Amino acid sequence: MTTTEATVAGAATARPPRPPRPGRLLVSLLLLVVGLLMIAPLVWLVVESLTNENSAFGLPPNWIPRPFTTENFRSISGLIPFGQMAVNSLVVAVISTVGSMAVSVLAAYAFSRLKFRGRDGIFLCMLSALMVPAQMTVIPVFILMRHLHLIDNLAALWLPALINVFSIFFFRQYFNTIPRELDEAARIDGAGHPWILFRMILPLSGPAVAAMSILAFEASWNNYFGPLIFLSTPSRMTLPIGLVTLQSGQNNGASVVVFAAIAAVTIPVLVVFLIFQRSFVASVASVGIRG
Amino acid sequence: MTTAQPSSQVAPALDPRDRGRTPRPAGRGWVGYLFLSPALLLFVVFIAGPFVAAIVLAFFSWDMLTPAKFNGAGNFTAMFHDPLLYKALANTFIFALASVLTHLVGGLLLALGVNRVMNRALAYFVRTAVFFPFVISWAAVALLWKYVLDPTFGIFPYYMGRVGIHAPDWFTDPHWALPAIIGIDFWHTIGFTFVIMLAGLQTVPKELIEAARADGANPRQILWNVTIPMMSPTIFFATVITFIGAFQIFDPAQIITPDGGPDNATTTIVMYLYQKGFQSFQVGYASAVSLLVFLVMMIVTLLQFLGARKWVHQQ
Repeated sequence: MTTTEATVAGAATARPPRPPRPGRLLVSLLLLVVGLLMIAPLVWLVVESLTNENSAFGLPPNWIPRPFTTENFRSISGLIPFGQMAVNSLVVAVISTVGSMAVSVLAAYAFSRLKFRGRDGIFLCMLSALMVPAQMTVIPVFILMRHLHLIDNLAALWLPALINVFSIFFFRQYFNTIPRELDEAARIDGAGHPWILFRMILPLSGPAVAAMSILAFEASWNNYFGPLIFLSTPSRMTLPIGLVTLQSGQNNGASVVVFAAIAAVTIPVLVVFLIFQRSFVASVASVGIRG
Repeated sequence: MTTAQPSSQVAPALDPRDRGRTPRPAGRGWVGYLFLSPALLLFVVFIAGPFVAAIVLAFFSWDMLTPAKFNGAGNFTAMFHDPLLYKALANTFIFALASVLTHLVGGLLLALGVNRVMNRALAYFVRTAVFFPFVISWAAVALLWKYVLDPTFGIFPYYMGRVGIHAPDWFTDPHWALPAIIGIDFWHTIGFTFVIMLAGLQTVPKELIEAARADGANPRQILWNVTIPMMSPTIFFATVITFIGAFQIFDPAQIITPDGGPDNATTTIVMYLYQKGFQSFQVGYASAVSLLVFLVMMIVTLLQFLGARKWVHQQ
């Protein structure tokens, strides 16, 4: 293997060896610098969050946490209910992801495998809704949630997330690539639609489910607009809005504590990302959703 | 992976040929409705209904407390005479265009570079470092960069000073607040464009490049006459997606400059919509503004469908 065994979209490349040119070394050097510049703010974040409050944020900047302390992380929960917020974020993300996957898979099966009046019309109608920006529907949805008494309730976040038109479309396209002869065979053996969908088609759709789940989870976990509009009590907030409250709220924390909170939100994401990097990148590359 | 080519993902949706491949009738019609019913119900309640409601609300004036009053086209005429709306639109377009330009150039250069790197560890490091910020939530990114750019203890102004450039006070200087947001967005989102470009690069047939080289083309000619034309579907797709995402930019501008920045330099159209709808409770007016956002989205999407057929190199 001469070159990058690309993690991207499973595209492995093998090029014939070429004579090394000085340009190649320069490119490598430049890329190394770009990579270091990209992670520099994150390194600074972790270093300062582990530095004693009195010594933090000195210039020239520290690149080693000295004197080292974990006190900043322990101070977070005195200012915001960080643990509760993490639980809230997790609850919303899990319900949104699992729920929207279930709803999407059922709908995609109907669009791909079942025949009924108005099917193509409904599909086109849903598809054109991809053009409608979320900011347009948020005001009526807010009014609706107020009528349902769901303002300042996590359900206001996950309920609208259950419908994910893009994943319906994506699954439908994916299901269409699975040979229909398999259905026929299963049906002759007496299988019903639930069996065909859940025991046959879904197990064959692993990559699609993985890609959509990752994106749905990510969108929910990082959502800032929704909680900003629907949530107001700190103990009911999710992490992104909680972070901003910590920095700008009435009892705002010292900068090191804010940094510790940002780091506490970011580091788990980094760990998960490094483990599942291949799936993460593949899901984005195959779908092309911009967060 | 599901598809080698990301550009084929969105466009074929409305491809009329798809309809020909309608599956065989399988069972009675009500089964289809049964499978579809949860999605259909949610769609009507949370997308279609609110969409219609937003259009209706745009013709009313309402503060969410007193009864709504019919206002005719009043909100729309008011929009024409709203200097802040023009400002927000201008900011948003500048942001979106700058975002498209920097992302396309940056993403393509990074992808071309990484594709040439021989050292596997280096390639892994660069890919990870460039992509990772995209995974972090905007809330964390925006807060972090507020500190990174801080004039008194931020590392960015410090190192700029070390190389002899006096950094502006980014978020109090009306000339530099929007460029700062553009820069932060680049750091956060470039990984996305990079991955799309890298995937697109793999679709360029190796034989073509080898053939061009055998014919004596130099690397620059190969880039401009082979690689970029062959990547045009990817580049086109990245342009559309980046523009659509950038046009709806809200999180970083709202978190760093909740009041809209110096001289409203960072008020984006969605921020303006948020201010009108959820801070001054001019629900009708905010809905009219949201219609404008929808219109821009619709035009871009239509351009995408038309352009995908017309301008993109056919393979």
